[in-house]
Amino acid sequence: MDTPNPNITDEAQTVRGKARYKSGVLEYRKMGYWEPDYEPKTTDVIALFRITPQDGVDPVEAAAAVAGESSTATWTVVWTDRLTACEKYRAKAYRVDPVPNAPGQYFAYIAYDLALFEPGSIANLTASIIGNVFGFKPLKALRLEDMRLPVAYVKTFDGPATGIVVERERLDKFGRPLLGATVKPKLGLSGRNYGRVVYEALKGGLDFTKDDENINSQPFMHWRDRFLYCMEAVNKAQAATGEVKGTYLNVTAGTMEDMYERAAFAHELGSSIIMIDLVIGYTAIQSMSKWARRHDMILHLHRAGHGTYTRHKTHGVSFRVISKWMRLAGVDHIHAGTVVGKLEGDPLTTRGFYDILREDYNETRYEHGIFFDQDWAGTRKVMPVASGGIHAGQMHQLLHHLGEDVVLQFGGGTIGHPQGIAAGAMANRVALEAMILARNEGRDYLAEGPQILNDAARHCLPLRQALDTWGEVSFNYASTDTPDFVPTAMPAY
Amino acid sequence: MRLTQGCFSFLPDLTDEQISRQIQYCLDKGWAVNLEYTDDPHPRNTYWEMWGLPMFDIRDAKAIMSELAECRRIHDDCYIRLSAFDATHTWESLRISFIVQRPRDEPGFMLTRAEAAGRTLRYETRAYVVQKPEGARYGNSG
Amino acid sequence: MPETMTDAPALGETVDLRAAFDGAGIGEVLAGLERDLVGLRPVKARIREIAALLLVERVRQGCGLATEAPTLHMSFTGNPGTGKTTVALRMASILKALGFVRQGQLVSVTRDDLVGQYIGHTAPKTKEILKKAIGGVLFIDEAYYLYRPDNERDYGQEAIEILLQVMENQREDLVVILAGYADRMEDFFTLNPGFRSRIAHHIDFPDYADDELLAISESMLARQHYRLSPEAGAVMARYIARRRAQPYFANARSIRNALDRARLRQANRLMAAPQPIPKAALTIIEPADLLASRVFAAPAADGSD
Repeated sequence: MDTPNPNITDEAQTVRGKARYKSGVLEYRKMGYWEPDYEPKTTDVIALFRITPQDGVDPVEAAAAVAGESSTATWTVVWTDRLTACEKYRAKAYRVDPVPNAPGQYFAYIAYDLALFEPGSIANLTASIIGNVFGFKPLKALRLEDMRLPVAYVKTFDGPATGIVVERERLDKFGRPLLGATVKPKLGLSGRNYGRVVYEALKGGLDFTKDDENINSQPFMHWRDRFLYCMEAVNKAQAATGEVKGTYLNVTAGTMEDMYERAAFAHELGSSIIMIDLVIGYTAIQSMSKWARRHDMILHLHRAGHGTYTRHKTHGVSFRVISKWMRLAGVDHIHAGTVVGKLEGDPLTTRGFYDILREDYNETRYEHGIFFDQDWAGTRKVMPVASGGIHAGQMHQLLHHLGEDVVLQFGGGTIGHPQGIAAGAMANRVALEAMILARNEGRDYLAEGPQILNDAARHCLPLRQALDTWGEVSFNYASTDTPDFVPTAMPAY
Repeated sequence: MRLTQGCFSFLPDLTDEQISRQIQYCLDKGWAVNLEYTDDPHPRNTYWEMWGLPMFDIRDAKAIMSELAECRRIHDDCYIRLSAFDATHTWESLRISFIVQRPRDEPGFMLTRAEAAGRTLRYETRAYVVQKPEGARYGNSG
Repeated sequence: MPETMTDAPALGETVDLRAAFDGAGIGEVLAGLERDLVGLRPVKARIREIAALLLVERVRQGCGLATEAPTLHMSFTGNPGTGKTTVALRMASILKALGFVRQGQLVSVTRDDLVGQYIGHTAPKTKEILKKAIGGVLFIDEAYYLYRPDNERDYGQEAIEILLQVMENQREDLVVILAGYADRMEDFFTLNPGFRSRIAHHIDFPDYADDELLAISESMLARQHYRLSPEAGAVMARYIARRRAQPYFANARSIRNALDRARLRQANRLMAAPQPIPKAALTIIEPADLLASRVFAAPAADGSD
């Protein structure tokens, strides 16, 4: 896409030779961090930042500063630069475009040489790219919108321990989204009561149940109790249905030692899946991914905390970048939005997240917020999880927006069913299967969705009741994290 | 009990016309349809017996429906499932799988618990029918 | 899908056949046939007739005037290289457009694909092919090889029996086209009357005239970004006249083979050039590329060369 921009055609003003290293303060653009003629190498990491400079700060200088502060620069010239091949290590801002319809905001493209990064370490990558620069005074706000990760770098990560295809093979479930539910209430259930919810939901028809992000080991329920009762429920439901079932046992804890202990116990009890929260940190996530790989375990990641830095449109890190990091870090599941549920999620932006998690090659799609072609080079695919305020009556919309390779988590939409949890689970499963059947038959399931559900409800009372209870519930609020580019109709000549 | 493996087990058993439409969906995607049968429905019993090879290069569902009819005739008291393979790079696995025949009577599974150290239990799931030899588990044929 | 009417058809109303014709997209297929295939005048006329018949049949079904699936099996007779397979492909599209086959694929086979080497081998082989052809058209080239009158134990007989059964009982599932030399097909039908009675349409493919073969050679070359120089065009015309008189002449197929060899010679000629050549030379076939053919070695039949 071309964004013609008459304002930003600044040539490089790099000061070279002896003058470059004279003591004192030099503009970043003069230190070699602005190279408008630079052609990114296929091995470069490229970051796209949305920068909002302070009033009076030139956008090119701001972009150069971001490049500098996220790579080699410090605020003043240092002679020790000259002991290094510093031109290689300098990040290079090479393009600055104004953001459409957003005065004062600019997209800055910055290329980083691969030599800047430790192989296979999200911690190292993020310490560079988002380490210091977000507090930089000359900027009002800064957001990391997208990254292009070169294949050479992608290949230094193991990627998901299991991935979508192998997960489906292990579970023997193909051709439809998986169904899950988060056990509610989030807090206060004893282990024994908690397992009851798991059993009812799985026996009723769900594939998975899930601990919530803040279910760890609190006074009302010790983690070992939870694991034991949950596995009783899983095994009992499996025997009752003849179908593979699972429950995400959250092993999040205060230390790695505790997490390993909990994961080992889950493994010993025969669980097929464990869960961690994003708040444990990138290194802990990579460690747990390695552990999961060694123990044939599916690794579920709850994106707890991400909203603090992904939601605001001008400052923070886009969730599409988090999605890329987490695919590298090696989780098998990640919560990625529902579009129609209670949590933030513009349809096109969410589509971009899903594509990043599931495709082997992402093509640039500005309207989905994808700024770069990204080759995943065979890295396994991450199963996105849609959770939060969704119910059976939205099944056609969920299938339309999210596709087939997704876990649909109906927490309230299962447990809140008037006839009980098993009835709620059955309602969801019947709705899902009826919708898949109709889609495969070539019906316009999005338009005919309500009719398809009503027809299916004729042989399933619990679905009838679910539709009567929640049929009209929707969460229609404007999204904050929306794409900056909209496809425009081409004039026909 | 009703075995709920596969994509459509919560719906009333599919009619031949419905099965045929699902097959055509698979064929239009370029997937190879496969028929398998078993009389051991354990959830981890991955390898059901194959009814011939996956059917490559077929264009019309009717060709597969005739194979299904034949499979049903020979194995009239087994589970039969229909699945479809997608050979696309980075998938190279099944895209759909659903049961197209089930025995008239499904006795289900026994769950046994063996007490182990601490409060740990060792579970074993076993289909009641597997006490009989293979081929004689459901009804008199199979 | 047209609804089956149970009541007596109301024949007072009018029927717009032209609209039905356009709606099914038959016009495009026929226009494509006209545009892409050189010559074949009588064949194209027969295809038009058959298309009209099928369209009317389809409309009659819609009016409740016809209820049975019509017999659509065909025989295509003619010498090798006269466009039988190409036309069969177009026929499959027409049948698909009118809803007489569901998918419209063409599965092209010969005896070896249907008949096995030992007892019990033939039926599964034939059935395997039939499964692939269901929903489309099964094209059996040189169908008479299925039948070997000199050997009554021949496994071909088993394939014939299965085919006859399917041609009779699964008319809505697939259309069979039998193809081969006209005289041998005639013998085959005489010895296997079951086939003759199941074939609804016979189409005879005449040999191409010399000027048609020249046009074919030009279009074959154009598709590969070659052309004949004006002198080479004249040589090609002489080539065609001479080749026809020689053994194993196979119409368009002989032309294709001749052009393949001409391209080989052209490449060798260009490689041998001592200095850089103009890029345009890469696309031009010159007389030398054709004259080296052994076709020109023998004396011309009419003594003109």
